[in-house]
Amino acid sequence: MGAEVLLGLALGALLLAPPFLPPYFLEILISVMLFGYLGAAWNILGGYAGQFSFGHAAYFGIGAYTSTLLFLNLGVTPWLGMLAGGVLAAAFGLFAGYLSFRYGLRGPYFSLVTLAFAEMLRVVAVNTKAVGSSLGLVIPNREPAAVNFIFAGKLPYYYVILAMALAAVWITRRLERSKLGYSLLAIRENEDAAEAAGVDALGMKLRAMALSSFLTALGGTFYAQYFAYIDPTITFGPSVSIQGLLQAIVGGAGTVLGPVVGAFVLTPVSELSRAAIRGRAGVDVMLYGVVLVLVISFLPHGLMGLRRGRGNPPRVPLQ
Amino acid sequence: MYGLVACGLSLIFGVLRIINFAHGAVMMLGMYTTYWLFTLLKVDPYLSIVVTGPAFFVLGMVIQRTVIEPNRVAAEHNQLLLTLGLALFLENLALVLWQGDFRTVRPPYAGASFVLGEALVEVPRLVACGGAIVMALALFAFLRTTDVGKAIRALAEEPEGALLMGIDVGRIRAVAFGIGSGCVAVAGALVTPFFYVAPDVGESFNIMAFVVVVLGGMGNFVGALLGGFIVGLAESLGATLLPGSLKQLVVFALFVLVLLFRPAGLFGGGRGR
Amino acid sequence: MNRRAFLKTAGAVAALGVVPSIGRAQSREVKLGYILPVTGPLAFEAQLSLNGLQLAVDEINGAGGVKALGGAKLALLPGDTQQKVELGNSEATRLIDQGVSALIGPFSSLVAYSVRQITEKNKTPFVLLAAVADNLTEGGLKYVFRVQPNGKAMSTLTMNNMLEMAKAANVAIKRVAMMHEDGNFGTTMGNHVEAFAGQLGYAMVQRIPYSLKSPDFTAELSKVKASRPDLLVISGYYGDSKIIAETASKLRIGVHALVGLANAAYSNPKFIADNRELTDHLLDGNYWHNPQSARAKAVFAAYEKRFNSTLTSHGVQAYTVIHVVKDALERAGSADRDKLRDALARTNVTDHILPQDAIKFDDTGENVNATPALLQVQGGKPLVVGPARFAEAKPVFPVPKWHG
Repeated sequence: MGAEVLLGLALGALLLAPPFLPPYFLEILISVMLFGYLGAAWNILGGYAGQFSFGHAAYFGIGAYTSTLLFLNLGVTPWLGMLAGGVLAAAFGLFAGYLSFRYGLRGPYFSLVTLAFAEMLRVVAVNTKAVGSSLGLVIPNREPAAVNFIFAGKLPYYYVILAMALAAVWITRRLERSKLGYSLLAIRENEDAAEAAGVDALGMKLRAMALSSFLTALGGTFYAQYFAYIDPTITFGPSVSIQGLLQAIVGGAGTVLGPVVGAFVLTPVSELSRAAIRGRAGVDVMLYGVVLVLVISFLPHGLMGLRRGRGNPPRVPLQ
Repeated sequence: MYGLVACGLSLIFGVLRIINFAHGAVMMLGMYTTYWLFTLLKVDPYLSIVVTGPAFFVLGMVIQRTVIEPNRVAAEHNQLLLTLGLALFLENLALVLWQGDFRTVRPPYAGASFVLGEALVEVPRLVACGGAIVMALALFAFLRTTDVGKAIRALAEEPEGALLMGIDVGRIRAVAFGIGSGCVAVAGALVTPFFYVAPDVGESFNIMAFVVVVLGGMGNFVGALLGGFIVGLAESLGATLLPGSLKQLVVFALFVLVLLFRPAGLFGGGRGR
Repeated sequence: MNRRAFLKTAGAVAALGVVPSIGRAQSREVKLGYILPVTGPLAFEAQLSLNGLQLAVDEINGAGGVKALGGAKLALLPGDTQQKVELGNSEATRLIDQGVSALIGPFSSLVAYSVRQITEKNKTPFVLLAAVADNLTEGGLKYVFRVQPNGKAMSTLTMNNMLEMAKAANVAIKRVAMMHEDGNFGTTMGNHVEAFAGQLGYAMVQRIPYSLKSPDFTAELSKVKASRPDLLVISGYYGDSKIIAETASKLRIGVHALVGLANAAYSNPKFIADNRELTDHLLDGNYWHNPQSARAKAVFAAYEKRFNSTLTSHGVQAYTVIHVVKDALERAGSADRDKLRDALARTNVTDHILPQDAIKFDDTGENVNATPALLQVQGGKPLVVGPARFAEAKPVFPVPKWHG
């Protein structure tokens, strides 16, 4: 009961407080929401289905590039471009997923193959003039227009990403209680046993893949519109992939709120350590590394593991 | 060159089954050690192996004991993030200690080279290559003949079986991690004369080392070595035949194909897992 | 729990960052914010810029601060981008919240694209440092300024300097090969060198973008050699440029010269000191100071004393930017951002240490007279060999050792 009241309060604060926050906090909140959103999207495949993708940058980049290219070349509103990017990313996800799952890649092998797919897209983007090569694409400094996903202030962007993050959380919650969700959990814990029990493992994993890559691509479009510039390294580079999974794992992979909680802790930790140690370059990132190691050592199920500690038996470790 | 880095990684991967992102960072530390030995004490980079190898063997064991071992039971992905956190820590430690500037070690023979037929042979690269071969063979022999080596192999192949046979699993894992770290540090030392040293230098090798390990087959050193040659060859071919910087594409494509169709590596038998 | 965690951290952030600035505002000082990638892959270069900023600020404060503001001191507020776009944004926003009169940075063009939106919305002057992408000042922006040459000026003027030098030596340059790193910086340079070919009468016989992470360039340089160029132009960072020069030397590449274009290594004193025989007679078109200027000599001496190393081109740029901003503050007579912006737009600084005429900005905010210098390593030192009126040494061209 108490938890729900707290959640309600948090939600209220997220909805009502931002107009009164100084721009710096708003900026941080937008980052938090974006990372939380990406974490939630990754969580569907990585957390629930236990398929540890290291290449979600591929879908992020497809989303960012699709909507931006459509907008710049054909004048298609990014709102539509966003959907197009999502569909394209899901298609690519299905392709990559089908290949990997079909040939029985699991665990680290799957991680590595997804990483390779993202890197391949990055190399192709760097070498393709039609998509701006490494000069990247600039969203021109046009008149703000809601229909073009360009706003004057930060606040509308915040509400867009907040809505996206809430939607992702809601989808995760629905998923958790659906047949797909149960099947994914079964696959995660023991794929062979799940298949023996009649779960269509390939089909289920592909569904998770499609959903996860679709959502990630929408995040890519948001990124492009908000930061107004994309290039191959930013969008297809490994750091995007790592960002998403980091939030999810630190917060608690395979939990509804985990990724968002993770984002609410990680981004402020990095901001705080930077604020605390100014002038000595590198110390803050060093600390960040230490925090990461400590969190994983002492909270193997992420921050959400704190709550489920009592009562629920711990999850069976993946082997 | 990649083969050398991959040897250590292959061992760690084979025995511990973790993707080790800190591998490049350990290599970077090895390179700095070489640099400082050369700059301060005038120790020849090749000679410094005698120091870096054992020192990093110990460091690797310590890392395994303190950071990785306590999380043995945790999920695979947690270990992966552990190594990521470790890499962040080590790289930035280097940045704090030695600033970000690039350093070069230039022993007198750094520029030595000769032309063999059509090809250019650079002496330092040749030495690194020879070093890789020696190291792979030595590791191979070590794993076949010594008790510790056999225990490592047993652990890699049958973790439960090894436990039942009364092997001190924790100690063996630490030894394996130590050897792996020692290997990359030596690799770093061998590479330094024709490369440069900087806090993020290890990243150049990280992803490629994964590719090599997979090509060669996990835990297969001779395979790792051959994998290294294949990657090098694929890169040169890609650079010669393809426009732009598409040469990496060839390597990644090869990587994906091998993962899909021969997950045990090009030279392994049967399936990977 | 979400909310509590957030409020707690928010409070802590406020305590650390924003609140003290209100207290500080009382004292007489003008705040200038920098955003530089002081951690991450460009940490070293960023530190060189930072040293230049610091040197200029201390010099100005030591000489009585900004006179028009009653001797107000300049205060440098730090921001670290780690070469990440989202950090560039949040650091810029934070600094603007803290009341800086201008922002300086951010090194990488990628970060600049996004930060310039923020400075524009907040009407804060943004003086670019090291970012070369040409279109950064485009799009009707009012608050973006750039003192150094942009990518186009850098590459076309350098090629021009090269060809003039070749003409003086009676050597024809007909075939040019180029290798550049495949990021924004290298690609910008490569595009201009290629686009400029027809106009200057050379053919681009080979253009090879490469990945910074590649540890070996033998295949690429063999391709270059096979195309029999007169000149090999290289735009890259430190490690890659080193390996390229080394491999080119071993392959007996057979060109009149190796020319860096805004190269991070070829005119870098430390690189030259570490690689004496390799670097002799390397050329490089780069941001530089005016060796004829007595003031530049004094600045170099002061830098040497303070940081125990040689002032570099990054430091020179940073030093100059602070003085340009200070000049504008004097004329504006106010630390107000809008007044500072208007004063910057009317800049006409003649007493500076750059190899160019007066520093003036055009409508887009580019320094109209910005010029790179052509440098050559001679006797272990990078010396200016062009343009002729700033030269301190005669060029050695063609360079015998690259003839193979």
